[in-house]
Amino acid sequence: MVTPPFLLHAPDGFFSTPVALAMWAATIAVLAISLRKAGEDLDERAVPLMGVMAAFIFAAQMFNFQIPGGTSGHLLGGVLAGVLLGPWAGTIVMACVVGVQGLVFQDGGLVSMGANIFNMGIVGTLGGFALYRIIAAALGGELKGRLPAAAIAAWVSVEAAAVLAAFQLALSDTTSLGAALVAMAGWHALIGIGEAVITVAALSFIAASRADLLEMRHMRPSRPRTALSGELP
Amino acid sequence: MKIVATVGFILALSLLPVGSFIAIGAAWAALVALSMAARIGPVRMVRASFVALPFAAAALPLLFTKDGDAIGTMDFGLFALTATWPGLIAVLTILFKSWVSVQAATMLIFTTRFHDLMHGFERLRLPRLMVAIISLMYRYLAVLTGESSRMMRARAARSAALPGAKRPSVRWQASVVGNMVGALFLRSYERSERVYVAMQARGYDGTMVRHEAPPLGLPGFAAIGSVAVALAAFELVAFLWLPRP
Repeated sequence: MVTPPFLLHAPDGFFSTPVALAMWAATIAVLAISLRKAGEDLDERAVPLMGVMAAFIFAAQMFNFQIPGGTSGHLLGGVLAGVLLGPWAGTIVMACVVGVQGLVFQDGGLVSMGANIFNMGIVGTLGGFALYRIIAAALGGELKGRLPAAAIAAWVSVEAAAVLAAFQLALSDTTSLGAALVAMAGWHALIGIGEAVITVAALSFIAASRADLLEMRHMRPSRPRTALSGELP
Repeated sequence: MKIVATVGFILALSLLPVGSFIAIGAAWAALVALSMAARIGPVRMVRASFVALPFAAAALPLLFTKDGDAIGTMDFGLFALTATWPGLIAVLTILFKSWVSVQAATMLIFTTRFHDLMHGFERLRLPRLMVAIISLMYRYLAVLTGESSRMMRARAARSAALPGAKRPSVRWQASVVGNMVGALFLRSYERSERVYVAMQARGYDGTMVRHEAPPLGLPGFAAIGSVAVALAAFELVAFLWLPRP
């Protein structure tokens, strides 16, 4: 049976060449900005942290749960990455995740990878994080508004990725816009609910056990404050 | 080198006009010949290529939305769907294209070590930070997917249900998954701290030690050039001379 979130990993051949190349250009531009921004406020700890976090997002996508109707849903993780790592670092991590999935595991093609990274990595993380900040601010600060803001942002990020993919497919003349919108947006409205609940549960779990990590992205550079380095002389 | 060739191959494939089945077939035959030469064999590649098939469902509506001669009409009571020849050809083109593209990508992965792949990307000017992140991610992927499958096994072991018992709600299941994700995050974070400390102990100061990739040289560029010429010729032939329905 179709695992719906993987509908976002479009293989080669589904986007026409101009669409695929245009999305690559957009993706490269945003990634370049992200790399510069992330480089500004991350220190040398960033490389191991982001590498392991990318593997974490990948592994977290393995957890699945049953949706009535015989299919199963799982986490995409864009908003989660944005909230935990900050928008720029989160975007880079998600791009690496989608890239490795396409390259090594054939979840999505190479030429269409630009569009896939854009839909899942950039819209989900940057856009999702922007929405999260706005809603959290409206609800009176990140401490109070964190969970509802994350829930809404997670749902919207999944839905936005699906709608974007539908438009790209229609532009490529692969499907008609109406059919793509109904199929993608309809499915992902359900999947987005799962994404929202999982993101909220994960965030509240982390808030309950190590709330200091939620402040991670506000941490200033050059403070090696690890659990282990404290024990070492 | 191989990366450029593979991406070029897929690009050429996706530029092909609708309905050029002969050209796609020829491209596939070339790929199969290459895979025989690399002693992989077509069977493994075909098996690896099936992961892309679920996405085919997305192209199916096109069968019914293109105008043209009707093949047949399905009556669903409320509305009728008419399949057309141009629609069928478009769908088949997309399916074959993506199928062959997946096999080309599979070929790249099967014949190239990950380390060499990273060198290739560095040569293609992928930022060093991303190369470093991807190599580290690749290194810890198996560790963390192992961790998450152990957690899933633990969940399954604790979640025995009486036969006929009502299924727990999706909401409840999703929040269980959320807790698992949270726990996995903490474990990953703590692992990344240990990794960092270990790297520091080995003299890490923020720059990755890299083994300089050997320069590409004349043979490499010659190979890329000949691949490009061959693909251009292939494209020309496909557009001008090969018949299509």
